[in-house]
Amino acid sequence: MVVVLCLVAVIFPFMTGISILEGIKCQARISVQEGADVYVAGDLYGSNAPVSTEHVSALKMIDGVDRIFPRIVGRAYLFDQLVTIVGLHSQAFPGHLEIIQGHMPGSAGEVLIGNALARQMGFQLGTTFSLSFNPSKRFRIAGIFRSECSIWSAILICMPLEDAQELFQTPGMASDILIYTRPGYAHAVAELIQERGYLGETKGPLLRVQDRDLISLYIQKGFNARGGVFTALYTVAFALGIPALLVASGLGFTERRKEIGILKATGWQTQEVLETVGLENIMLSLAATPIAVLLSFFWLKVLNGFFVAQFFIAQIDLMPPFPVPSRFLPVPVLLGFLVSLIITCVGSIYTTWRTAVVPPSDAMR
Amino acid sequence: MEPVVMLEDLRRYYNPGTALEVRALEGIFLTVHRNEYVLLHGPSGSGKTTLLNVMATLDRPTTGKMFLFGKNLAGFSEVELSRIRRRKIGIVFQDFRLFQGLTAWENVALPLIPMGLGRKERRATACSRLEALGLAARMEHSPQQMSGGEQQRVAIARALVNDPEILFADEPTSNIDQASTERLLGILRALKKRGMTLIVTSHHPVFIQEVDRTLTLKDGRIEEKPL
Repeated sequence: MVVVLCLVAVIFPFMTGISILEGIKCQARISVQEGADVYVAGDLYGSNAPVSTEHVSALKMIDGVDRIFPRIVGRAYLFDQLVTIVGLHSQAFPGHLEIIQGHMPGSAGEVLIGNALARQMGFQLGTTFSLSFNPSKRFRIAGIFRSECSIWSAILICMPLEDAQELFQTPGMASDILIYTRPGYAHAVAELIQERGYLGETKGPLLRVQDRDLISLYIQKGFNARGGVFTALYTVAFALGIPALLVASGLGFTERRKEIGILKATGWQTQEVLETVGLENIMLSLAATPIAVLLSFFWLKVLNGFFVAQFFIAQIDLMPPFPVPSRFLPVPVLLGFLVSLIITCVGSIYTTWRTAVVPPSDAMR
Repeated sequence: MEPVVMLEDLRRYYNPGTALEVRALEGIFLTVHRNEYVLLHGPSGSGKTTLLNVMATLDRPTTGKMFLFGKNLAGFSEVELSRIRRRKIGIVFQDFRLFQGLTAWENVALPLIPMGLGRKERRATACSRLEALGLAARMEHSPQQMSGGEQQRVAIARALVNDPEILFADEPTSNIDQASTERLLGILRALKKRGMTLIVTSHHPVFIQEVDRTLTLKDGRIEEKPL
């Protein structure tokens, strides 16, 4: 029972971490699906760079393009809270934003803010504030939206593009240009822009073009890599940590030695002892994994990741101000079982083997 | 009578060739015949348990020859020794060595697991051994719930579950009361009658009247010939 509880204590944070990662991945995928078909940014040393909004008129001319919106995505400090700024034309504001108080920004300096952020900062409709990049620029809260829909909207402030340009002091520039195409044109439009490298008659700097499939692929690869690294590091850390703990404390090892000695004295062979210990490990892992999964599920879905979420999501406190995204899939559960099995095996197989190959009288001593 | 155990100039040294060398057994010559009841007697530290461990194949001698059932064990692998222990040897330890997390019958059935018997069969065999030793009502009890005498009978049942040819018992009276000692002597007597070979270590004088032969050990040597 004690071993099962120890395993649960080890697998629970693993399951929680992986489930949050899967939840965020899922939200990212949905955001991409709901977003534009093609994203165009400047290209500087192979990375995204600001792009001139002058390109918008040339892009509109491309066959298949439906709507175009330049956008600024940046980060700034609101007092000591780092927030995400999105500057967009009001028509391009994400469709899933549900305004629960006030209205969309209509005039200069008006912004939309998430209810969690408003609650955290003590803001209401009409409250004015400034941001770290340009303290002289004042903003007024015109509307408050429900920020529970995704992890990113929790610290989001939406404002008209011109206000964002003024805030970041980048007139005529955008982080990227969102292009919505007619059905079936996205790939062709992206290829055309990529081939030209500049727009229409306007000779300019190189452009970086990413379509929805490419961004989905980046997300998939990025999250998979993070998930894989997390799993590997977690397993290695615990696989190394547990025997070290056992060696340091001698916890249970003497008892195990004696038990193996008794088994050998009653006619068990080394291989049979190892098989039994292996089976015991599998049973322990099978018992511990569902408990850890259920505990993790309860903690994330009912307690909203109270206390534990702060270890996996940056800049949140004990009580997350938004619903912590989480997803429980079969593969991470299987991984949890394997992690548990590796840990129990590393902690026992070698020591068991060492004991099982010595004469029984030595093992029992 | 057929010799079951034969030792020729057997020695057992711990940490040989080092400053910490301990000569636990020195030049032991001994033959134990089938159905013989032998007592190894001697003061604490005289080498009784070491000699018992070597004869029961729980330990290997440093030098010398050992024959068990007519076979020289010198070249035997650990697997072969395990097979001998499984089929022909039963051992009762001084402190019983029962698994505290298992019930009485599960402890008794442990040696049957590697023989491939199913749980039902193991339970039936273990229960019949426990019944024979007067523990029918204690089968589902764990060792902590039993007296010293009862624990010892469970240990004897475990040693007998495979119908061994020799029973080794190390200081079997050291952790039990007078009544349990009487009962133990009765059990050993019955086993002797059934044809089993018994080798017991003890410094309790009660055994001297029971056994066929008493060997006294001192400083790792057999000091006296049979009384």
